[in-house]
This record gives sequence, structure tokens and C-alpha cells, in this order.
Amino acid sequence: MLSLNYALAGLGLGAIAALSGVGLLVTYRATGVFNVAHGAIAMMAAYLFWQFTDQWGLPVWLSALLVLLLIAPAFGVLLERVIFRPLQRRHARPAESLVATIGLLVLLLGVAFVVWGAQPRSPSGLFPGRVLHPGSLTVHLDALADLAVVVVGTALLALVLRRTSLGTQIRAVVDRRDLAELAGVDADRVAAIGWSIGCVFAALTGILLAAQLSLQPFNLTLVVLETFAMPVIAGLTNIPIAIGAGIALGIGQSQMNLWTPNDSQLASIWGALQSNLPVVLLLLALLARQRLAEARGDAGITTTFARRRAAEPSIRRMTLQYTLAAIAMFLPLTFGAVHLREAQEIPALALIFVSIVAVTGYSGQISLGQAGYAGLGALFFAKVSAGTPQLFALLVAAIAAGLVGFLTGYPAIRRRGLFLALTTFAVGAFVSRFVFAQPYFTSNVDVHRPSLFGLSLEGDRAFYLFELAMLAIGFLVMYNLRAGALGRSLVAIRDSEEGARSVGVDVRVLKVLIFTVSAMLAGLGGALLAQQAGSFDATTFDPLEASLPWFAVVIVFGADSAVAAVIGASFVVFINGVTGQDNAYLIPIGLMAAFLGRLPGGAAEAARRTFEWVLTPTPLMRHYAKRKPPPRPTIALSPAGRAALARMRARS
Amino acid sequence: MSGRLEGIGIVKRYGGLTAVDDVSVTTEAGTISALIGPNGAGKTTLFQCLAGSERPDSGQVLLNGRDITHASSDARARLGLGRTFQRLAVFSSMTVADNLGVGAENRTNAPVLVRIGAMLSAIFGFPLGDGKGHQRRVGEVIDLLGLGDVRTELAGSLPTGTLRLVELGRALCHDPTVLLLDEPASGLDTAETRRLQTVLRDVAAEGLAILLVEHDVDLVFGVADHVYAMAEGRLIADGSPDEIRHHAAVLDAYLS
Repeated sequence: MLSLNYALAGLGLGAIAALSGVGLLVTYRATGVFNVAHGAIAMMAAYLFWQFTDQWGLPVWLSALLVLLLIAPAFGVLLERVIFRPLQRRHARPAESLVATIGLLVLLLGVAFVVWGAQPRSPSGLFPGRVLHPGSLTVHLDALADLAVVVVGTALLALVLRRTSLGTQIRAVVDRRDLAELAGVDADRVAAIGWSIGCVFAALTGILLAAQLSLQPFNLTLVVLETFAMPVIAGLTNIPIAIGAGIALGIGQSQMNLWTPNDSQLASIWGALQSNLPVVLLLLALLARQRLAEARGDAGITTTFARRRAAEPSIRRMTLQYTLAAIAMFLPLTFGAVHLREAQEIPALALIFVSIVAVTGYSGQISLGQAGYAGLGALFFAKVSAGTPQLFALLVAAIAAGLVGFLTGYPAIRRRGLFLALTTFAVGAFVSRFVFAQPYFTSNVDVHRPSLFGLSLEGDRAFYLFELAMLAIGFLVMYNLRAGALGRSLVAIRDSEEGARSVGVDVRVLKVLIFTVSAMLAGLGGALLAQQAGSFDATTFDPLEASLPWFAVVIVFGADSAVAAVIGASFVVFINGVTGQDNAYLIPIGLMAAFLGRLPGGAAEAARRTFEWVLTPTPLMRHYAKRKPPPRPTIALSPAGRAALARMRARS
Repeated sequence: MSGRLEGIGIVKRYGGLTAVDDVSVTTEAGTISALIGPNGAGKTTLFQCLAGSERPDSGQVLLNGRDITHASSDARARLGLGRTFQRLAVFSSMTVADNLGVGAENRTNAPVLVRIGAMLSAIFGFPLGDGKGHQRRVGEVIDLLGLGDVRTELAGSLPTGTLRLVELGRALCHDPTVLLLDEPASGLDTAETRRLQTVLRDVAAEGLAILLVEHDVDLVFGVADHVYAMAEGRLIADGSPDEIRHHAAVLDAYLS
């Protein structure tokens, strides 16, 4: 039995979800870039609108005009010009665009957090929130207005796409950018328009959504990110299907109010299911799909971020580097209590970052859900450590996180690039919403620091040393993952999955294995992070507050280097410590990730080059000056070969 | 070492289009067979069905008498089917020697649990496997293909012609019994093509069965023992290079 009242109530949110999906699809179709930052742009627009109306007292219509018709399109043009055109110019791989949008997302989150803070605001709506009661019905006027906006917006869009020459050009650029350019289409202009339209739709989504929910940097962005379900259901192509899915989601969500289970346990599950229906839908849509149409090839290859040198550096040099690194890691032991406590975050965070290096750097699988594994590790440690030896509890925590990684590894077998990125993100979001956010799992969770064979690690120095020991174990695993045949097989999958299969590399087993090992490392790091804080905090392991920025840090500092991951962790803790703000690091990291296209190999590569230049400027310059093309191979003929050659010469 | 690959009655459709229509091909140990035909003839589709990148809608693929129609491409490789790619699929961030090393190191056809065990053992710091033997095999193949000068270069920095040889070497390190080559001469200059011919002869002389898809008619007629000619998804002729060169249907398909 459907209820008309509930349907009407759900219509508004459904319409907004549809709007968000349409905006994403337009940008994707016109530029080939799946804009992960869509949610953050929506959030920024909502904040600006709130600033204009509720803070500065501008009239609603004027603020709307400013945000929707001036700032949002201009921002779209700026994005195309500054970030995405250079990537397009040098035929960057889709994975690079994906990282650029993640960087943009992180940057905008950081800016919003620093400028407006984390406290929720309740902005006024674009439309008056009046309620009418015709007959027995309850009609929210703003919901109807939202629906009208979606209808008008998409109708305008359809008109532009179908009836104008711009629409033809967009379709031409989507099909074959090179051919369209030959035919005189200004593909850059088309891309800029695609970005502008996408930003306007995002802004509209943000403003409408903020009026219905509340306005907070992370929450609002996450809600918009969850509407990724619509474009995924639409196979990244079909706009009408995306709209239909959005409306259906809104109505379905409100219809779930019709049934309330009597059993309280069941009721809480049902409630969680209802409020997190978009996440469930996203995960199911991703798992049900065999493939996701990608406009511009395969986003699976992350070689660009993960350069590996041909030869290992000399033993003397490695000894020097590792000694310096070890001294740096022991340095915090000399700190005062406050700074030592802050520094305790470094090894824990470093372990999680190292886990991203394993899965993304070493084997090329984009994983945007690492915080989920880390959080599971923390939670399992807390649950198990109550009555068992602590070291055993830590092991159980790592194994439990590893099991979930194992399960994620299965869908990863056939998925790559954007498809895999979205799937891992959805897994992380699912775990966060259905485990970390549920009091059933997280209430009464006490996290204690472990004791080792009766030796207490309560003391800050002792605990820091223990963390270093755990990190050392992580490094051993990483070394083994990188060295020898196993390491080569993983890189083979990263560089060319087809090529790896062609020589019998068991891609299926290796992918599942690397996800499992990576999740175990992340789980261990998560458990240490919770022990350091002395509590389990769901926001520490949030998909948006943690997973995505963490991924960006690892990419920025050099995805192929475990040492770089430790430096990245130190950077995060250092910036947060200096500024005294929890998320201040988002801004530099976001900036670097967004512009990573201009710094291939990440900060690690740049630092290494600078280091080498400082150490050995002259030989290096000479090396580059004299760089010759590599010699072509000469073929040494076997007797049979010589005979064949003689036969051939005789014939001709 | 003997190799034999049979495709029996392969049919592959895409929507309403029948790309490969009931085609049978066989390669024998020690011989080189070639698959020719104009663009769109279905050569590449047939090749993909044999190599495992595509599954035929009907028909059978037999490797040394064993039905591998439903085996994945990596399983086929472990059973002794080597291949190269028309669009290069080298490991660009590894050196040439490491590229070949991957081929040598994954030669095993041990059961899956044994392979998982070996991986776990490697993670704990005890890699199994015959490292020295793999190195020796890589060295042999590098000598055979004359890649000695570039063995420590990163594959990503090398020209296409060299990379075709790297792919061939990678496949050879895997010790296949049957070798499938997808347009091995595209991107090669005349001198390189001629060298490739002699290498292929050498390799076949060791007892491998080779099947190649190739546009370069000179290469095909210079090196192949047996030629299959396709047009519009069907096999229109097969026979020795001389027979095919003068076959009316083949001339017709190529000229019209």
C-alpha cells in the first residue's frame, strides 16, 4: 500500500537526488571526467548562499542569482581552464582526472571547514516552506517547488542538448574529441560549458538540500556523494533513467515510514536502512553492474602516480636514508608530553597510509574505502580486548578487517578505475553508516592501550615505541610485497592487467590477496589510532573525512613509496598541530592533489629530484644533456636463424 | 615439447553481427600458421577467442588436446598458451629484464592453493620458487632476441619496435607450447621485420606451434608454413603460402 502523503513528502528529496545525478552526468558526458567533487561544489554553493542571505542579509532572489548564475558557472569555467584543460592537453589518463577531482573535493572541504567551521547551520530555503492541506493530503510547497526546478532545469537542458548547435557539438565531442576538433568544434569551449552546467546543477542541489537537511561541510557533501547511485544506475549515460531513479529513491525512502517493526532491534535496523537507503542503493547498483561505460577509456592505470626507479639506489645511500628516517622517527621520544601525544598519531596514521600504498601504489587498485577497514580494526580491537591478551586482540582486529578486505577483493577482480573507486568508496560508506554510526556497535566501547606480557604501555613513551614496532612490522610486510617475484607480479597487474594475464599471473588471487593484506594493515593502524585517542570516534573513520583525504595524501606524497606514506602522515599531524585545527591539512593536500597533473610522481618524486640535484648538480646536468635515445637491440642469430635468413635472401 | 592449438567451429556474434562464422584453425608443433584477411574479416575476433580475451558463442578451443574453451586467459597461459598484443601490453614501469622475469616466474601450473601458499610465504619473507632458474631463462631469451643492450632500461621509455620484442620475450620466458602473435610486425621497420622473421623461425624450430595475425603480407608469405585467409567472418581458403597467393577467392577478397 503506497501512501500519497508519504509520496509527496519524499518527492522533494527525490527531485534533489535526480538534480544532482543530472549535473554529474552532464559534466561526465561533456568532459569525460567523473566529478567526485560534485558534492563539495554543492556544499560550497550552499555555504555561499547562506552567507549572502542569512549573514549579509541579501534578498533570497539576489543571492540565488549570484550563486547560481554568476559564481557557479564562473567556477566551472575556472576549473576547466586551470585544472582539467592541462590534463586534457597532454592526454592524461582518466585516473589522473579522478585524482584531480578528489583533490578538488578535499580542497573545498578544507576551505569550508576553515572558513565556516564544523558546526551545523540551518540556512533559509530558496522557496518558502509552507504546508498546504487540500483534503486529507499534506503538501509541502517547497517539495513541489523542488520538483518544478528539476523539471524546468532538465527540460532546459534537454532543449539545449537536442535543439541547438551547442548540443550537437557536445555530442560530437563526447563521441570523438579528436574528430570533432578537426571539424572545427572548439572542444575546450564545450568542456568549459559542460563544467559550468555541472556546477550550476551542483549549486542548485546544494542550496535545495541544505534547506531540507542542515548545512555542515562533511555531512552535506556526503549526502550529495551518495546520489552517485543515480548516475551509476543510469550506466553513466541515460539522463532520464537517472531522474527516474532519483524520484523513485525519494518516494521509496518515505514509503518506508509505512511500516514500523514491533521488535526494537528490528526497528533500529529498519530505521538505519531507511535513512541510509542511498548508500545501500549505491552499493547494490555497483555490485549488480557488470561494467560501467566509461567515456574515455580505462581509468585503471595509476602508473603516473607510482613511478618506480629502474635500479635500486646504492647500499650506502639506502643506509644513510634509513638511518636518517629512523632517527626522525625516534625524535618524538624527546618531546614534551603534549607534542609526544600529538606525535603518537604519526605511526598509527602511517600504517593506514602504508596500507593504501600497498593496494593503490604497488598494485594499481584504487581504494577509496581504507578508513572503513581502519575503523573496523579499531572497533574489533575494542570489543575483543576486554577479556583477552591485548596482543591477541590486535591480531584479531587485523584479521577481522582483513576479512572485510577479502570480501571487497572479490568485486575488485572485475572492476577497475572509476568503477572500482566508486565500489570501494561505497563499501567504506556502507561500513561507516551501518557499523560505525550504529549505537548497537559503538556504544560502551572502551579502548585501552595494550599491555605486553604484563608490561603496561599506558605510558606515552612506551606506547609510542610499541607503535613504532607495529610500523616496523608493517614495513617488513611492505618490503616483502615489493620485492621479488610477488612484487613484480603486483606491478604487472598495475601496469597492464591484460599483459599480466597473458603470462599466467593469477590476477584474481593477487587482487583478493592485496586487498586482504592492505585491509589488515589498515585495521592495525586503525586500532592504534583508537588506542592513541583512548576512544572510538566514528568521524575518525568517516568515508569523507578520512578515506578520501587519506587517499589524496598518499597520492600526493608518492603512491609507490612506503617511506613517503610515513612522511605524509607526519605532514598531516604537523600541519594540524601547528594550526591547531583538525582538518587544516585538507587545504595543502587538496591543492597538491588537484594540481598533481603538473607534478607527476607526487611530492616524493619532486623531493627526490631536488635532493639529487642538490647532491649532484653537475653529473645530473651532464646526464640530461647527453641523454641519447636508447639503443635498438641487435639480434644475434642462431644457426637455424642464419640458415633461414640465407634461404630468404636466396628466394628474393 | 610439442604444441597444438585447435579452434573448432568457432562462432562469435556481437548483437546482430556475426564476426566469426564457424571457423576452424589448427596449429601444429614446429610450424608457423598465419591468419590473413582484409579489415573487418574477423581475424582479431577469432584471435581473441583463441587467446581467451573473448568467449566464443559456440565452438571449441583445444590446447594440446585439452578443452580450454571456458578457461580464463591467465589459466590458458599457465597451461602453455603464450601471446602478444596488437596494442602493446608491456609493464611500462619495469625494466626489460623484469618484464621477462614476470613471464618466467609465473610459469608454474601448480594448483591454486599451492600458489596462494607461495604468495603467503613470500609475504612473510620466504619467497619460494627457483629464482636462479628464472634468471637463467630470462638471460637466454634476452640473448635470443638481442635485447642485451636494453635489459636495464624501463620498458616505458623504449620504441614500439623494441617493445614488440619485449612482449615476445615475455611470452617466451613463460615457455609456452603454443604462441599466438597479434600483428607482431606493426610498428616495425623493414630491417626489424626481417629480424623478427628469423626469430620466429628459430622459435618454431624448437618445437613451438605459432599462429600469427598479420597485415604485412610479405612477412606472412616469408615465414608461414600454412596460411588461413578470412573474409567477412568466414574462412575462404587455407593452404601453403604459394596456394594462397594464387587463390582466386583470396585475390577477390583483397582486391574488391
